[in-house]
Amino acid sequence: MLPAIRDSNSLHQALDLGYRQLLLERGSLLAMVGPLAAVARQGVAIFVNLDAVEGLAGDSAALAFLATDLGFSGVLSVRPHLLRDASRFRLRTIQRIHALDSTGLETGLNSIGLPAPYAIAIAPAVAIPQVMATIRQSTNAPVWGTGFITTAQQANAVLAAGANVVSSAHPDVWRTFVRDPLRD
Amino acid sequence: MATRATTPPARAQSVDRSVARLFEAFDRVPVAAVIRHAEDLPRALASQVPAVFFVRAPAFHLGPLVWAVQARGKMAFVHIDLIAGLGKDRAGVAFLAREIGVNGIITSHGALVAAARADHVIAVQRLLLYDDLGLSSAITAVEHARPDIVEVQPAVIFPLVADQIRARHPVPIIVGGFVTEPGQRDAAIERGARAISTSTVSLWP
Repeated sequence: MLPAIRDSNSLHQALDLGYRQLLLERGSLLAMVGPLAAVARQGVAIFVNLDAVEGLAGDSAALAFLATDLGFSGVLSVRPHLLRDASRFRLRTIQRIHALDSTGLETGLNSIGLPAPYAIAIAPAVAIPQVMATIRQSTNAPVWGTGFITTAQQANAVLAAGANVVSSAHPDVWRTFVRDPLRD
Repeated sequence: MATRATTPPARAQSVDRSVARLFEAFDRVPVAAVIRHAEDLPRALASQVPAVFFVRAPAFHLGPLVWAVQARGKMAFVHIDLIAGLGKDRAGVAFLAREIGVNGIITSHGALVAAARADHVIAVQRLLLYDDLGLSSAITAVEHARPDIVEVQPAVIFPLVADQIRARHPVPIIVGGFVTEPGQRDAAIERGARAISTSTVSLWP
């Protein structure tokens, strides 16, 4: 379980529950840059969804800032060129793929570039039980699921379908999973 | 031009762009056939689906495919965001509306919905639900764009958001994305979708 946070409030809720790996999924990164840098220094692994957070350009300067100044662990994006840049800064790269229909899924899976991403992130996660077979036909990369996980039951269904990590923005779900942290 | 044994379909003289008539047809057969590969088109033409969605054909070879659909009394929709070779702009919409003569366009962009309205073609706006934190702003975008029809994707999300969307915006909804089994079709219709869109040939009645 990877808590998806969007502000300092949800950041502290996740930390209070003992989570040491977090996904900054939305919101303004710049508005919470102080607390984020502080927890990253304490060894908390922070991943950022570059497609959705506000305040960052999709360029090398932004990636250098995340990797060097903030000490973040990795980035998620649908854009392969951005992930390629990110790998130069020793950030872990997670290729986001939208699972909205079979045409889009195919396009997303074909976009997986080199160097191979650390993982792929399927959005919305609730589609994973339906699409895992298709994913495994084209990649063996670890699968993360993000989006529309509002109950522990949904999260469990996604993990049972073969996802390695599931993310939720709902503190109730985080609480249920406190004893089952992110597998690495 | 070379003569052919069979006459290729020609551009229709007038194109039916009545949303009301489309939904009368969907009330009888609530399925739109999504064409991912050209070889699936004959099956769609022979089926009873009232509408055919083209999601990946090259723009400048679309005409005969669209006209073949219309010759069968079906409506043809083109997903402008995904069509190769065509600008995702007013001129692109105008080309589809005036030169090809499509019944409607499909897009996730509000600006193209407005362009469709200006060119009097049916506008289907895709509501792409990959992130619950973005749901509210996605619905707001639809409210502003005022499409004729909203297509919610993927289908598995629809039951989770149906009430929320309807409370905010009373627009006919069709549901698509990984609808591969009759149970998924029935679940969407039960929750108030007026039709489903699917590339699964076995679901085309």
